[in-house]
Amino acid sequence: MNRMIRQLTRRSETYVLLIVILFSAFVTAINPAFLTLENLFDLLRSSSGTAILAVGIFLVLLSGGVDVSCTTIAIVGQYISVNVLIRTGIDNIFFMFAISIALGIALGAINAVFVSLFRLPTLIVTLGTSSLYHGAMLEFVGTKAVNVGGLPQSIKTFGTMDVLTLYRPDGTTYGLSVFFVMLVAVLTLTYFILKFTMVGRGIYAVGGNLEAARRAGFNTTKIQFFVYMYAGMLAGIMGVMHLGLIRYSNPNYLVGTELSIIAAVVLGGTRISGGTGTITGTMIGVMLITILEKNLIMIGLSSYWQQFFVGVVLILGVSITYLQAKFQKTGRQIILKEEE
Amino acid sequence: MNTIMQKIKAFKFKEPKNKYLFIVMMAAILIMTVLMPRQFLSAVNIQSMAAQFPEFGFLALAMMLAMITGGIDLSVVAAANFTGVIAALILTNGTAAGLATTSAILLAILAVIGIAILCGLANGVLIALVGVPPILATLGTQGLFLGLATVITEGYSISGFPTEFMFLGNGTVFGVPFSFILFVIGAVIVWMLLNRTRQGFTMYMIGSSPTVSRYSGVNNTKVIMKTYILTAILAGIASVIMISRANSMRPGYGSAYLLQAILVVVLGGADPDGGFGNIPGLIMGIIILQVTQSGLNIMAFSPFFKKFMWGFALLLVMTINYIAQWYGNYKRVKKMKAQASIGSA
Repeated sequence: MNRMIRQLTRRSETYVLLIVILFSAFVTAINPAFLTLENLFDLLRSSSGTAILAVGIFLVLLSGGVDVSCTTIAIVGQYISVNVLIRTGIDNIFFMFAISIALGIALGAINAVFVSLFRLPTLIVTLGTSSLYHGAMLEFVGTKAVNVGGLPQSIKTFGTMDVLTLYRPDGTTYGLSVFFVMLVAVLTLTYFILKFTMVGRGIYAVGGNLEAARRAGFNTTKIQFFVYMYAGMLAGIMGVMHLGLIRYSNPNYLVGTELSIIAAVVLGGTRISGGTGTITGTMIGVMLITILEKNLIMIGLSSYWQQFFVGVVLILGVSITYLQAKFQKTGRQIILKEEE
Repeated sequence: MNTIMQKIKAFKFKEPKNKYLFIVMMAAILIMTVLMPRQFLSAVNIQSMAAQFPEFGFLALAMMLAMITGGIDLSVVAAANFTGVIAALILTNGTAAGLATTSAILLAILAVIGIAILCGLANGVLIALVGVPPILATLGTQGLFLGLATVITEGYSISGFPTEFMFLGNGTVFGVPFSFILFVIGAVIVWMLLNRTRQGFTMYMIGSSPTVSRYSGVNNTKVIMKTYILTAILAGIASVIMISRANSMRPGYGSAYLLQAILVVVLGGADPDGGFGNIPGLIMGIIILQVTQSGLNIMAFSPFFKKFMWGFALLLVMTINYIAQWYGNYKRVKKMKAQASIGSA
């Protein structure tokens, strides 16, 4: 028990979770509407997409890279697939998912070519590809937003689909969105891959040390391709979910929000140098960022403070992590010196 | 005549990569000239090109300094935004409160430098003292600076500066844009810093290997702190030119410059892993970017196509660099093998 507590105090996720709980308590004290089942369901519905994207970015960070093109892939998948649906007249949500996911995987594979085959720095590659993908879409596909009126019916149905319906006292209903089920499915699948498959263990190995992983017999090219294509696939899924959520497809949405998602993943204890991190931590990080972004208004601050707070939280979070690492190291050095 | 030819033949670029850059730059200029000789080589176009790039040239200089030490500064544009908002507020409110225009301008510029130093100090402390990787540290401060700028302005733009202030970004001296002169001075100072001072030398050293530089008695912490302060000051200068050129300031101005700055710095021969990067290469990179940009503008390409182009160009340059390096290694190994086989025979 003692050991468990000691281990917990060493992990930054524990502190982030504490901050989440404290902040929630604070928000509830000011505005009791926060801690109602209805608001929680609403938070889950609006943040499931972000969480799925965060899982993709988490995998990339775990493998020792950074992916800033995920949000661009999501919007490209969304915008192109919804346009295909409108032009062909096929009003089917699965068809839309298929197109968006296929696009996501393809664009992820392009990222992987530069990262894995040409060994270029991942941040610069994904900066370049996100500009490339977004520019190409705006130039060759279109720039006009699709509003609710032009949206295929199946997407609207998908966006309001609930798996669990509850009644308010006055007889109206609210419910747990299908988005949450999708998030759980993605989390389970990713957990399974990371824990029980060779590719999953290889991601940790590649993130720890690429050369060592290669010499240990891992097919590092395959692993890196898998990571970027998987992240692309999740981005494709998120793109469709985002459209279901906001019912308005603007080709300029989402782009630029990647930094706050990376911030969430990093706050969840994933090292940017790769090899360390957990899915649980990632979800805690997403919780923190979501609560921060969605509830500043609830405590009476204007939305202009959003970016500021995300920046402050990120700086504090990573500072604590790295200071801890520094002190642990110097502590170890002192012990070593004493032993000499 | 003969001696000139000999001199040209004997001329060597200090950085081998600059030879290719020079060829690409000349090719870009030549192509634009051939495609539209009347518009491209007109005095108006050359003047406007010289006035367009300094604001982003300063950001590129800043980015290069960070990259030489093996870091990256994602907060340059945000720092420029933040300092720009402060300067804009001083300029508009200062004159309204009865300050003389010249003192308001001086105050604004001093405030920009002062706040830039604070911004750089924040980055420097995080990176050098706390030990946060530069990507993460500057990602955080980017949110912080941009957030502050947004909170102060509440998203509105501030405009209407004194006409004297507009000279910095729009004025000309004997037909040469004043911002261009500022950039030349800035580039020369940075060149001297990199090639003639201890700070510059140790920056390259840290970029190549921080461990080696520490064991050879370099105070890494101090050098990196100074680097990020310099970076932020350069971003501040960029912001002054930016708001003066636009005669207004709004958070989010110039967000496209981040990618372009990284593109130009990598194009100019800097290595994201640190240790490389030089002013002549960077300037050739800037000229290539500006020439193609103006060319695309004259040919009326959409901004989306340009976005596509920059991403494509960045990836292309990086890939070519990689292949050239790989090919060089391949040739060297082949040569060594050949020598070894001769030796054994």
